[in-house]
Amino acid sequence: MKKRNIGLQDVVPFAAFVIIFAFFEIASKGKMLSPFSLQMMLDQSVMTIVSGCGVLFVVAMGSIDLSVGVNLALSGVLAVWAANAAGGALLVPVALVTGLLVGLFNGVIVARFKVPSFMLSIAMLIGIRGIVNFIQTNIGTQFIPEATRVFAEGYIRYPLFFVIVAVMWYVLEYTRFGKYCKAIGENETMAKFVGVPVERVKVLAFALSGLMAGFAALFSVTSVGGTTQQMGVFFEMKVAMAIFLGGVLVTGGFSAKLYKVLLGSFSITIIVNGLALIGLSETQYSQSFQGLLLLIILGVTILASSRRRKVPSTLDEEEPDPVANESRGK
Amino acid sequence: MQTRQKNPVPVEEKRHSQLAFLLILVAAIVAAAVIFNFITGGRFLDGTNILVIISHIVWPSFVAWGLCFLFACGYTDLSIGAILVLGSFATCIFGNWYGYPGVILGGLVVGTLLVFINFNVFAYTKIPSWIAGISLAMIYEAVAVVLKVSDATADLIYAEMDKSLRVLGQVPWSILLLFAGLAAAYLLYNRTTIGLNIRALGGNKDVARALGINVNRTLLGVGLICGVFIGVAAIVQESVAGRTLVKTGLTSINMVFQPLAIVLLAQIMQKRLNVIIAVPICAVIIYAVFNLLTIMGVPSGTLQEAFLGAFLIAFGVVGQRGVKGVVK
Amino acid sequence: MSGENILEVRGLNKYFGPTHANRDITFTVRRGEIKGLIGENGSGKSTLISQIAGLYPWDSGEIVFNGEKYCPRSPIDANNCGISMVMQELGVIGSLPAGVNVFLGRTNQFTKNGVVSLKALNRAAEEVFEKWGLPKVPLNKLTDGMMIEARKIIELARALSVDPQLLLLDEITQSLSLNNRNKLYEIIRKLKEMGRSVIVITHDVEELIQITDTITVLRDGAVVGDVVSKETTPDEIKRMMVGRDISGAYYRADMTPAFGEKVVLSVRDLTVPGEFENLSYDLHEGEILGFCGLSDSGIHAVGKAVYGLARPSSGSVRLKVSETETVAIDRADTALRRNMAYVPKDRDSEALMLHASILENFNLPSLTDLEGKAGYLAPKKLKKRAADLVASMKVKCTDIFQTMDALSGGNKQKVNLGRWLAKEPKVLILDCPTRGVDVGVKAYIYALMKEAKKKGIAIILISDELTEVLGMADRLIVMKGGKVTARIRRDEDFTEQSVIGVMI
Repeated sequence: MKKRNIGLQDVVPFAAFVIIFAFFEIASKGKMLSPFSLQMMLDQSVMTIVSGCGVLFVVAMGSIDLSVGVNLALSGVLAVWAANAAGGALLVPVALVTGLLVGLFNGVIVARFKVPSFMLSIAMLIGIRGIVNFIQTNIGTQFIPEATRVFAEGYIRYPLFFVIVAVMWYVLEYTRFGKYCKAIGENETMAKFVGVPVERVKVLAFALSGLMAGFAALFSVTSVGGTTQQMGVFFEMKVAMAIFLGGVLVTGGFSAKLYKVLLGSFSITIIVNGLALIGLSETQYSQSFQGLLLLIILGVTILASSRRRKVPSTLDEEEPDPVANESRGK
Repeated sequence: MQTRQKNPVPVEEKRHSQLAFLLILVAAIVAAAVIFNFITGGRFLDGTNILVIISHIVWPSFVAWGLCFLFACGYTDLSIGAILVLGSFATCIFGNWYGYPGVILGGLVVGTLLVFINFNVFAYTKIPSWIAGISLAMIYEAVAVVLKVSDATADLIYAEMDKSLRVLGQVPWSILLLFAGLAAAYLLYNRTTIGLNIRALGGNKDVARALGINVNRTLLGVGLICGVFIGVAAIVQESVAGRTLVKTGLTSINMVFQPLAIVLLAQIMQKRLNVIIAVPICAVIIYAVFNLLTIMGVPSGTLQEAFLGAFLIAFGVVGQRGVKGVVK
Repeated sequence: MSGENILEVRGLNKYFGPTHANRDITFTVRRGEIKGLIGENGSGKSTLISQIAGLYPWDSGEIVFNGEKYCPRSPIDANNCGISMVMQELGVIGSLPAGVNVFLGRTNQFTKNGVVSLKALNRAAEEVFEKWGLPKVPLNKLTDGMMIEARKIIELARALSVDPQLLLLDEITQSLSLNNRNKLYEIIRKLKEMGRSVIVITHDVEELIQITDTITVLRDGAVVGDVVSKETTPDEIKRMMVGRDISGAYYRADMTPAFGEKVVLSVRDLTVPGEFENLSYDLHEGEILGFCGLSDSGIHAVGKAVYGLARPSSGSVRLKVSETETVAIDRADTALRRNMAYVPKDRDSEALMLHASILENFNLPSLTDLEGKAGYLAPKKLKKRAADLVASMKVKCTDIFQTMDALSGGNKQKVNLGRWLAKEPKVLILDCPTRGVDVGVKAYIYALMKEAKKKGIAIILISDELTEVLGMADRLIVMKGGKVTARIRRDEDFTEQSVIGVMI
């Protein structure tokens, strides 16, 4: 059976990644490929990728979840506080439950009350950040209890990371839930008419995204050793960029593939580190670079996918759908 | 059934109900103000506080009006905050250089130019406006940082804009400006061909085109109109504050929230009250609530933000009631 | 003689990509003539009229209007020449008031110093309504809240405000109530008296014969007939539209209703506000139950309601799941789980994922059945199933990874239908299954229906094509304005005459 056609929209992110990598490798005079540098980049990408796996389900449906940064902060702060107050065993459950609850809230507001997801995300961004700041002004930054430091060890972090990514990949590509998310992104009306429980799927996708933010919080507090004032700031943008730089369309659908999260994450990490290696570490350079790159990749992928759709059928002499032509006036 | 014919309703009725609603709303606000005053032991309706409230609603109102036009076309621009920062810088730099002409031109030109650029990006690249806005915000924030640190402009920005140039931020000029803005926005939105065409384009692009509306020219119009309002907002903001802080990491998006809340609230009321008129009123409502919170000791930057977020969600939920169809 | 003819179309051709939508069209309209234009879906009539109205240019040929070469670059150009049109799709802007909608695009007429005077605009609008005897519409109200009919009337006012020499009406009558339809006929008559001309497109053959002077019939993009209305019959028109005897061999040959005794689905007193009320019927194993009516009769909502996609205010839909048990179908996911199937009318927007592959489209309704252990969907299994379906349904494509939007209408419909037939559903709901599909695929679909019937699948066939329902159904329920007006069995007076009376 012939393999699926690979379109421009899939090639461009790969090409971008290769070009960026090559550029910085040369510009930094080979410092990029050092084992130390590579490991540092992997470490920096772990949180983004973990959260990205969750947000990918939301993006697959054509929505967006920009609350993962503040979700991470809230989950982290509450988890560390609980662990210090009542025992290290609470660290993991509190982080995950908080993340899940925030996600559920998002899901209900979007699915049941039909508030556009970007607007909700932004409201959460500001609202929850307010709450987190409030908590932190009262209890300050905290350290994680000694007992939980074991999570920072490589032999727990990396396997956990791989397992999470593998499970997410499985669910997205090989289960009904994943297919339903993508179908909703392709054509929500169709999904409804087939009998897909759209509302339920939406809530679950957002809940999953929240749960992954909870995991990311765990990775964050254990690697840093506690909470910080700037936890999660800009994180959601990083995750969103990772997804879109990897080539996922804003409308999601079947363009949502897990490897794209990995691709995009590494691209961002390389940009940020690469710029630092060549001496341009200040925000204005990395931020403007990322902003421009995001615009370019989005523009190109959208252009590529819309061009692909315009090609008329040259299969046979049958007319392309007369019904479709009729509704052209729409 | 769909085929039953509507009974004709006399033309006057709609106008009366709009006026009536307006009066009721104002009465409610006054009543609430009295209650707030009581709660805070007289501090709310104190003279200086009222001045504070007034001076703080002018620039958000201008931004909100600009957003009304943008929304009418179906776009949402989250880079407005970053543009305001740059516009404020321009006002400061040119103001300190050239005096009043500099104040006015600086803010207007930069604001209009940047919104116009944004708009072209939205209209011609087909990237969804909310994320294009985020990317643009990142770029503009970076530009702001460059301006701040580069030798040529650093001094001009750090210095406050000369006090004597800040008249536009003070009562009564700012109130005059507000009313001028209201009149201009109202006329543009409801009574000019360009305004009606903008709303037509946003309502149904194909129908608008079939009626002969020139799409490119109309889009140009949206970009320019919105840009001018944002430009004025930058001027006022700089005049009130005197200096502008640079924001990175997309914290500039915070500046858009208040105007966004205003527009959302205004749109909820739009069946009863024209959205343009509702804007300054909603601005008063929203700012008054936060003013109250500040007086009552709720810390800004933390719990006040939480309230703002909650309001946005609540407005969103209420505004979307009865919306059928697909919402992403 | 140019004096006689207001419009002459000569050899007009229009292509949409490889589709030849209008082939060498040649016809004329005289002054004071009411011309009817009719043809099946896809015959090119809307395309033709849209070009005359200036919406897009044609590829070759010429048009002479009022004795002069006519080459509009936009609808405004057309208006200026004296041609205006009421479009088929909804043409008002909901967020603007009715009065503004009448003059949208021409509001400059009412500006003084850049400001539009709403008073002058509304006054002008009122004048238009009065001059042409149109029912009044509240001019300051946003069109958003208005009924479809009111919106169409606003569009009509807009077209008339141009004071046209030639008025083009594209399928306007179906949105109007009887009362307003008569008002429309009055307007057409008035225009004729004034020496103006009208081109009317409608699906209603009888109406067309009644109100027009001449009729031009299009089929597959070309003109196949140009007749005088008084001298023709509905049958002749229909024959020209379809090109063959419509009682074709592809419908059922028998005239006996044949279905099992077991009731599979029962609907009692179902009311969906705004669509239909108090609907009750039973559906049997192996039965084809037809629903027929005009577009506002509520028939399409019947299909949705049975699948759990509507919000009924009262009544019930119950599916028999075992000898003793019935289950209420009030949500679509219940219907899916209970092995019911729904083939929507609008395949591009309601039934298919156009940018996804044939593979994904075929498999979506069956994912629950294809799940393995722990919910695993084996790619090999999915691919095989899609490939089998492509083969058995004879879908013309390059492979199962091809995206749906590259397929022709007929093949898309095969996917639409096939993804459900593969599940051997208990109940199959078909809404206009042969819409926009060529004759060959039509026959194929009817054959599939006959096969499904034999297997005992209960079928609900909803269609606005009377001949189709009469050709295939065991029993027929006719609806009008949301109520049942007739129930006929295949062996009783199953003819167009008996149905048309209660349908329209």
